[in-house]
Amino acid sequence: MASVEEEEEEVLLEVEAVESVYGEDCLVIQRFPPHLHLHIKPRTADDSSQQFVEAILELRAGTQYPDEPPRVGIRESKGLDEVRQAHLMASIKEKVDELSSCLMLIALCEEAVQVLSHMNHPDGDCPLCLYPLVKEDGHGNLLPFMKLMSCYHCFHSKCIIKWWNWIQQQSETDPISNASSTSSSYSRSRTDMRGTEKENQGTCPVCRKVFQATDIEHVLNLIKTYTPELSLEETEIDDDEEFQRAEVENIRRKNFEALLKLQEENNGLIKPRRNEVLLPGVFLPEPVTPPSISPKATAEQQTEPSFTPTSETGPSKPLNKGSTSARNNFRTRKNTMRNRRVRTTEWVKKENSTVE
Amino acid sequence: MTSSSAPSRKALSKIACNRLQKELVEWQLNPPAGFKHKVTDNLQRWVIEVNGASGTLYTNETYQLQVDFPEHYPMEAPQVIFIPPAPLHPHIYSNGHICLDILYDSWSPAMTVSSICISILSMLSSSTAKQRPADNDRYVKNCRNGRSPKETRWWFHDDKV
Ligand SMILES: [Zn+2]
Ligand SMILES: [Zn+2]
Repeated sequence: MASVEEEEEEVLLEVEAVESVYGEDCLVIQRFPPHLHLHIKPRTADDSSQQFVEAILELRAGTQYPDEPPRVGIRESKGLDEVRQAHLMASIKEKVDELSSCLMLIALCEEAVQVLSHMNHPDGDCPLCLYPLVKEDGHGNLLPFMKLMSCYHCFHSKCIIKWWNWIQQQSETDPISNASSTSSSYSRSRTDMRGTEKENQGTCPVCRKVFQATDIEHVLNLIKTYTPELSLEETEIDDDEEFQRAEVENIRRKNFEALLKLQEENNGLIKPRRNEVLLPGVFLPEPVTPPSISPKATAEQQTEPSFTPTSETGPSKPLNKGSTSARNNFRTRKNTMRNRRVRTTEWVKKENSTVE
Repeated sequence: MTSSSAPSRKALSKIACNRLQKELVEWQLNPPAGFKHKVTDNLQRWVIEVNGASGTLYTNETYQLQVDFPEHYPMEAPQVIFIPPAPLHPHIYSNGHICLDILYDSWSPAMTVSSICISILSMLSSSTAKQRPADNDRYVKNCRNGRSPKETRWWFHDDKV
């Protein structure tokens, strides 16, 4: 039987090991008995546009650890609905039972990483067409989807591009009544902002966060064959197929699948870039090039095991489930008896109205 | 100049049709509380019955909303009006036009008929006075030729009523 001191020493060493494996993704609240927060991400490594889920795991052991298992919980998560959170917890619980009475902190984290890697796709419906984001098109192909880097809201690529083209088209042809495109502001300020903001910006249809053209460039580049003028209606019948056929898209999809497969095969040590810290609305990464990862490169990277540091203040908006501020917030026109001057300008006829 | 002012003249695009069929199915599975969609074979115009929520000024009152979808729904907002008689409310004109920003400037394609209905009911429920907008007569007179509320340039305020 090991002495109490020896056992404690072992536990302390394990905590050190967790720290060295997870680097800045591991927050040690207390060394003994161990209490840790771990930022768990799927193994999408250096392509943050391909990361759709993440979680912060809380591991809390008692003085009797490892004889007694640690308590595990999900503190925060992104892109995981209740079902998927429950799945994650169940997998960890299974691991806990399997490793009963052993030092298991690293194994539990690795289990979580693995589960997240398998679940690394957006959940729920596309907010624009209302069909599932991850859905086969009937020919066994997945419809391509993407996320806005600034807020993690996900859309089918072709749906967001139609929206983008619509915004662009509206601002070209009808700068006054492009009501639906950019404005969450007063009509007055909308007029003021006209011209300055339209060109390369849009707002997320779900949360209204402003995004830049660069934010969807990795998708726009795939369909250079589209012109904004044509894409709304005229090409509508063909464009699904056209999009599917686009060679670049096929390459992208292959890369994504290869990456996923690699993640699953290699218990995960594809080293991420260090500086990809995502803060909402602050940092918009350059459009990413498809990752080219050979198993060899991966093996080399294993020698330096550390994970992307990501600020805990990073984007924490949930994905497409549930109600959103855009859906529920509303403003109504003020009933202005108190300000007669304003009242006289409460509504005006649009210049380009077709009436009268 | 543009066709945006003719909400129901042009047929729905394929995208709009798909989207509306999907909304209709979801509505049937999970209708917003207090609303009833009156079934017709016209996908482009929905008529929806609204029941005032209990405990509000509109308890036991029933109104009808008419929702017309434009060709490029959901990129473009639908036109939503009350079929007169419209509820007496500081933001609802007697011709049924509703002053609610999400129907115009603040529309987003992520909104649905269902979410619009919830906003309208919430607007009704929070009313503290049954009265018309102060400029009702002038506005309604100006709309006599069948003008759509989408042609009005509304001036919204961050008012919670
Ligand atoms: Zn979609
Ligand atoms: Zn968003």
